[in-house]
Amino acid sequence: MTASSAAAPRARRAGRSGRRRAWVRGTLFSLPFLVGFVVLIAYPVLASARYSFTDFNLFQSPTWVGLQNYRDLFADSSFLKALVNTLLLTVVGVPLTIALALAGAWILNLPVRGQPVYRALVYLPTIVPAVVGGYLWRWLLNTEYGYIDYVLGLLHLPQPAWLTEPAWGKPAIILMSLWTVGGTTLIYLAALKDVPEELYEAAALDGAGPWRRFWAITWPSITPVTLFQVIVTIIAFLQIFNQPYLLTQTASAGSAGQAAGGPGQSMLTYGVYIFDTAFRHLRMGYASAMAWILFLITLAVTAVLLLTSKKWVHDGDK
Amino acid sequence: MTQLNGRRRVGLALTAALAASVALAGCSSSGGGGGKTEITFSYLWSGNEAKALEGVIADYNASQDKVVVKGVSSPDATKQLASMSSTSGSFDISDNFDSNVGSWAAKGVLAPLDDYEIDTDAFVPVTLESAKYDGKLYAVPIAVHSLELMYNKKLLAAAGVKPPTTMDELADAVRKTTKKDASGKVTQLGLGYAGSDATTLLETLGYAFGGTWDKDGKPSPDEPGNVAGLEWYQKNVIDAVGAKALTNFYAGVGQYMSAQDPFYTGKFAMVVDGEWQSAAVANTAPNLDWGVTAIPTATAGKENSTLVTSSILFIPANSKHKDAAADFLKYLVSKEPMETFSLALGNLPARTDLMDSDAYAGLPGIKTWMSGLTSPNAQTRVSAPYSSQYSDDMQVAFEAFSRGQTDAQGTLDGLAKKTASYDGQ
Repeated sequence: MTASSAAAPRARRAGRSGRRRAWVRGTLFSLPFLVGFVVLIAYPVLASARYSFTDFNLFQSPTWVGLQNYRDLFADSSFLKALVNTLLLTVVGVPLTIALALAGAWILNLPVRGQPVYRALVYLPTIVPAVVGGYLWRWLLNTEYGYIDYVLGLLHLPQPAWLTEPAWGKPAIILMSLWTVGGTTLIYLAALKDVPEELYEAAALDGAGPWRRFWAITWPSITPVTLFQVIVTIIAFLQIFNQPYLLTQTASAGSAGQAAGGPGQSMLTYGVYIFDTAFRHLRMGYASAMAWILFLITLAVTAVLLLTSKKWVHDGDK
Repeated sequence: MTQLNGRRRVGLALTAALAASVALAGCSSSGGGGGKTEITFSYLWSGNEAKALEGVIADYNASQDKVVVKGVSSPDATKQLASMSSTSGSFDISDNFDSNVGSWAAKGVLAPLDDYEIDTDAFVPVTLESAKYDGKLYAVPIAVHSLELMYNKKLLAAAGVKPPTTMDELADAVRKTTKKDASGKVTQLGLGYAGSDATTLLETLGYAFGGTWDKDGKPSPDEPGNVAGLEWYQKNVIDAVGAKALTNFYAGVGQYMSAQDPFYTGKFAMVVDGEWQSAAVANTAPNLDWGVTAIPTATAGKENSTLVTSSILFIPANSKHKDAAADFLKYLVSKEPMETFSLALGNLPARTDLMDSDAYAGLPGIKTWMSGLTSPNAQTRVSAPYSSQYSDDMQVAFEAFSRGQTDAQGTLDGLAKKTASYDGQ
């Protein structure tokens, strides 16, 4: 027996116990997350799936109603309105957000003086508390006193009644959402800075103009970031709540009722309707069913994006 | 902000709930030392209203040696509900609006109060209707509201009209006080609605025409009187200026109860609004020359009809000290504390023996609102599990009606179809 052949099983044993130790240690380290995940995320998600098949008011034991909630939803005009409104906001809002963020990032990447200040300014609205921003926008969008219509008036443009005319409710929400585009812009800025400078130099030598350089170099290089941004922005728009909720809050005389949704329910979004159903009407089962439908829609959209991403997302490593 | 009415307060409370994400209620009240029972009174009021309430609490604590009340201002309605959903809550007595009583009582969240010998005979009968559910008392009103017709004296005088007493006179007054400029833009509206939508105005018009919104305890939006009320509004207010012009006018008016409130700034000649305006106008628009009169009558026998709503006190079912809480509740709704507190809020008292009190004399016009409250034609909305849904659906339907999207009959038929699906809730 040579020394080496005796050492081999020992080493294997040491390797096995080392791996086990590492596993135990790793598990211990991740335990806080795992416990939090199970208690705060996994359990509530599964519970809401069960509640979606029940009539549940938060205070009494849920009663099983099978698919009734799902059937009722598709006969509920407010639900359909909320769904259509949310999809419209998403279809218009996401491309606008992406385009504006990218254009903003490009400008913030230009070699001019004071760039850190401009970058901070663009990001600033993102850190304003949502409720403060909401009330600010209510004032800005006011037909009589608001700055937006005032400026439009100076330019001899039509001055829409943003918050009282059904046709202008959704544009108001999108306008308010675009105000906080700074977060998306900064991520794009980081992506732009990652594009290798030598590619531009080489392209410039080959005589490529700015337009060609953007489509041949910049855009392919940032497609992985774009994929991420598109998915995150779609999810944000599908769940949009703060803007419509704050813009449509009402003050009225005599009773405690308060229907959000704005004129003609034009600003009733999926998130707002879930909130009203769950926390004002205390119909948790019905609200859970709605939440699950939204989850499935989100899952489907994300899956389609990921599956088609091979066709348009450029992976620099391959 | 001290003069918040019901709906605004809920709105702000919900906003606060959002801003500070829902925190589940923490510690529960415990028995105090020295043989005294300590109870927690969590209330939605804040600011000056809370200060007035704390004075009442201090008086109670000094008046006896069995119970110590700890007052907590917590204007977060979602947190209030969360506390009541656990086995051990964070308070023993609290307040909300009568519209929630039916929904909460049906869910077993409220403690029934019938066994605590509350002197219900002392209350104006209409104020107790929405405090009951299924024949049992679950809440007690502390400050109540009625709606009457407020008018701008100068604008009425300029148009040569007197405060109206019949619907025909009101129609005439509306016609004469509504003004448009050369381009068709409404510059002054004869009859406006308070707040952000016409719901409460249309509800009271329904009553004035002999209608009711909850017949025999069930939603009854398509009652003929309600249809007549909406038709009156359509003919005399919407069609008189055009739905489009009316919508544009409302888009341009200032926020309710702010310094730019359209009634305060003379953009409305008349408005149907609640007694809280008496104190609010004095604070915000002291130079406004206004008066108030009963909502005109359309039908003989329906004189002085109005909508009554209340702020109520209740004991949650999960309170560990219900007897002590009931003792304090009885004190709060006894004559003097109710007078002190309703006065601080600029609201009406719920007790019959306070209707003649001189203490309210400082609030101009308050007698008109009080006479509405005690009128046999005063109505209150039924408090049922579906109440909040009914309010929402009503608001959506009336909003479309105000924009000229649907006519009176169509609006109420559509609403009736919605309310028919409430069974199960």
